[in-house]
Amino acid sequence: MARLIRTEKEVEGRYTEQWVVVEEDALDQWPAGPLETVGRDTPRVDGYERARGEAIYTADVQFPGMLHTAVLRSPHARARVKRIDFERALAAPGVRAALGPASGESSGGDAEASGAGAYTPDSSASAPYSSHVLTDEPSFAGAAVAALAADTFAQAADAVRLIDVEWEVLEPLLDADEAVARESLLEEPRRYERGDLERGLGEADVVVEAEYRTQTLLHNALETHQSVCRWEGDTLEVYISTQYIWGVRSGVAKALELPQDKVRVVCNFMGGGFGAKNNAGDYTFIAAELARRTGRPVRCALTRREENMASGNRNATIQRLVAGARADGTLTALGGEFVNAVGWDGFSASTSGPMQLLYACDNVRTVDYGAQLNTSPNAAFRAPGFVEGTFGLECLLDELAAKLDLDPLELRKRNYSDSDLVDGRPFSSKRLLECYRRAEPHWARREEVRARSEAPWRRGVGLASQVWYGGGGPPSYAWVRVGSDGRATVITAMQDIGTGTRTAMAQIAAEELGLPLDRVEVALGDSARGPFASISAGSSTTPSMGPAVRAAAADAARQIVEIAAQRYHLEQRVLSLRGGHVVSADGGSWPLEEVTGLLGSGQILGKGARGPNPAGMRVLTFGIQVAEVAVDVETGEVRVERVAAIHDVGRIINPLGARSQVEGGIIQGIGHTLSEQRLLDPLSGSVLTQTLDAYKLPTIADVPELVTEFVDEPDTHLTNLGAKGLGEPPIIPTAAAIANAIRDATGADVRSLPVTREEMLRALREARERETVAARTS
Amino acid sequence: MRLVRPETPRDAVAALTNGAVALAGGTDLVPLLRDRIVEADALVHVADAVPRGVTSTSTSITRVGAGTTLGELEVDPQVPQALREACALSASPQLRAMGTLGGNLRQATRCWYWRLKFPCYLHGGERCHAKEGEHREHAIFGNERCASAHPSDLAAALLALGATVRTDRRELGVAELYRLPTDDERDVVGLERDELILELDVPAADASTYLKAMDRRKWAFPLVGVAAARVGPSVRVALAGVAPIPWLLDSPAALDDATPLPGTAYKVELARVLVRRALAATG
Repeated sequence: MARLIRTEKEVEGRYTEQWVVVEEDALDQWPAGPLETVGRDTPRVDGYERARGEAIYTADVQFPGMLHTAVLRSPHARARVKRIDFERALAAPGVRAALGPASGESSGGDAEASGAGAYTPDSSASAPYSSHVLTDEPSFAGAAVAALAADTFAQAADAVRLIDVEWEVLEPLLDADEAVARESLLEEPRRYERGDLERGLGEADVVVEAEYRTQTLLHNALETHQSVCRWEGDTLEVYISTQYIWGVRSGVAKALELPQDKVRVVCNFMGGGFGAKNNAGDYTFIAAELARRTGRPVRCALTRREENMASGNRNATIQRLVAGARADGTLTALGGEFVNAVGWDGFSASTSGPMQLLYACDNVRTVDYGAQLNTSPNAAFRAPGFVEGTFGLECLLDELAAKLDLDPLELRKRNYSDSDLVDGRPFSSKRLLECYRRAEPHWARREEVRARSEAPWRRGVGLASQVWYGGGGPPSYAWVRVGSDGRATVITAMQDIGTGTRTAMAQIAAEELGLPLDRVEVALGDSARGPFASISAGSSTTPSMGPAVRAAAADAARQIVEIAAQRYHLEQRVLSLRGGHVVSADGGSWPLEEVTGLLGSGQILGKGARGPNPAGMRVLTFGIQVAEVAVDVETGEVRVERVAAIHDVGRIINPLGARSQVEGGIIQGIGHTLSEQRLLDPLSGSVLTQTLDAYKLPTIADVPELVTEFVDEPDTHLTNLGAKGLGEPPIIPTAAAIANAIRDATGADVRSLPVTREEMLRALREARERETVAARTS
Repeated sequence: MRLVRPETPRDAVAALTNGAVALAGGTDLVPLLRDRIVEADALVHVADAVPRGVTSTSTSITRVGAGTTLGELEVDPQVPQALREACALSASPQLRAMGTLGGNLRQATRCWYWRLKFPCYLHGGERCHAKEGEHREHAIFGNERCASAHPSDLAAALLALGATVRTDRRELGVAELYRLPTDDERDVVGLERDELILELDVPAADASTYLKAMDRRKWAFPLVGVAAARVGPSVRVALAGVAPIPWLLDSPAALDDATPLPGTAYKVELARVLVRRALAATG
């Protein structure tokens, strides 16, 4: 029975209380360990489709008569449009329509008179969106000011340069500390305290204090943000590269004042998102509006430069941290002031989260500031806040361990927390100690690794722990259709953002239906052709969708058994589905299609829903990574040579896909640690790193030996699967593990990311000076 | 935009009229055209007009056609070590399969201000935006007016090796190919507008090497590149990524005369180490 409950909903570490209708989760969990299909290495069901170029991404969507868009984006971090003139742009070859900001003094051709479709102040003012999408007062470089559609992208790109704009350039605010001092904040400072920090520091035998900085990072998914919008009668079809079909649907419906069912959102294949594609984005509204004005399908796709200027980022942070501990390593105090350089808009992520959650410390005080700056808005980026906060916290712990002369792994074990001290709840499951145990052989390599140092290379090993959410939640629904040919189709309007969830859902349905994997298909990616499904963010797709798919498959299986029982005159309880057959306890076996064939062209339809999360429990994911590095102490070159990752995310559905997730997370983490940074001109606020030669992602040559392990034990409290999400955990501890390995190798404290040559050489110089002083005083 | 495909140097030069630009591998030119930093009515594809390949004219000189790709140079045993290493450390295999020697010598700086068309000194403006702005990739020498860094690994190697350039109209040393931008002339390449690089003569060295510090293991321009070539007792050292042009270092002590910006001081430290290592390797 459907049950209406009031529940906490968590996405990317942010909690909101809301009403949710849930169905009971009646199924018992499967036994732990590999089953027929679940828990076994399974190549992607769509691998060949992708490799052969048959998969249709949004970038591949083509419609007859489709127009292409170019967007005029502000070159200034803070400015006003004094005058904007579209006349020359509208006269350019191929141009069909233009959109301008909602207000401001403007002039241009007349739409009806020129027949080209045109911008006038009036028509633009009637647009359903205003300053959020197109603005005449841009507050960051890259803010969308105007847009036009033409027959080809080249024509649109040429014409957009002909829009005459007179700017009044204003002084931008770019410094996060200055923003906090001037109280330019996006929200009230978020304060958290348990116990008494001062008392905790007073009880400490050792106190360490340090300031850590992390840089602004860009997602740079392979497929840039883009949409194709097409009006079919009064229905708007939106083909979009998105992590949340249903969020786009409701966002577009609201902005365009359409009934939700008059918006159809499609995303079959997607070239990555990493958190930056959780909603519709300016490009979708621009395409929808231009499509409405022209009566044509319209594509609006960001260029790589636009992607790097204005499609979201992991914002920079400044973290001023303190930790106190007794001589035996017991933490007595943890404190942190976290400044998130959020940007003009966006959200202040929980950078303090790891400090609150990871250790059993009685006295914790944190404050997060969300600085509002004239820089492009942040967006969720693979464990927003926790990646940054874990770098600070886990480096601080190692600096503390050094001062206590205590093994860093031992320090972490001594401060292990058995329950969530933030709200006093027990964990639904926590196998971090098992992760630590499995890390020991990797950690034990450090003597041998250090011994391999030979001038100028110094080698060392470092580790860092990980905590994150990833339990998913209701509502999420799936259907499973079984035809007379004994084949099954999972139908749900979720999206596979490239992580392989399509394969995981097929495995779950195949397991429950006792079918080989090649007899299960997954139809996803279309809001008009499947029930509501979870966002693919916050490591939630598998834990939200998996239980719903299993429930739907179980519902279909139950119906098949009911039919078989009547056909073969047996009791239902002796029948089950295995290996594509209906089998009975006494050895009878009938091919599935013999039973479903009774339906003719009819079908069995199973329905399933995600049940509630365990009441009164905290669902979290855990892990540890051990990094080995080599540092050239003369040139500051850092080479990561090996990373071992052990994560606890409950049951693993597809170990092959899971390892791939972890490897991708570590590689992205290596980029975050060593080479990636968005740079701004400190005077104008322009983004200087707009292309992939300037914004340095890691290449395959930067990838070290990667070792991945999973605890792989179902969370017995969580759903019918016991599976948590794995999208974000693997990127969280990488930077701190590498920084701690650098300290182990060289004695140098790197406290600022990325660890470029200049940062590494600075830290080495500082370490040498410290040694000199120490030698002099002793 | 027209594409012209001349088959002789003479036809290529004739085609390089006003508004025409020479196209070789296109790995730098095509992005510059797309970003409208270079405007052209016609592209003169010089692949069939300039020599391609490596020949030894004597035991002491290797002659290299300007159309030879970096990928071809890096595996040719006739090519001196420093130049081969410079090629192998450049760009990515894909780019090295397209990029040519002639094009590499004429590539533009990676200075982000210049590439984003800030009205900077190199673009004919009054000031260098990098000097007061973000300049961690910029110059430590010759940076009085413009702090851009020359990105060519090959140019530094050729400078250390003492190579000469033959164009359609003259011969000149690699050092003479470049000049610091001045108030009168901002272009750092000292060739006439329709002048075409045809071949380079690269003298053999008793020992040579190229070392490079970069932000990642592959596909990055040099933060500092150091080429050293020894002929008998004399060693010549040249640097990439440290000045608006490839930079000949008179002696290791000349690094004391560097004029780093606040954000490029680390490059002096890097250069000292790499110069020492390069000298040791060629010693």
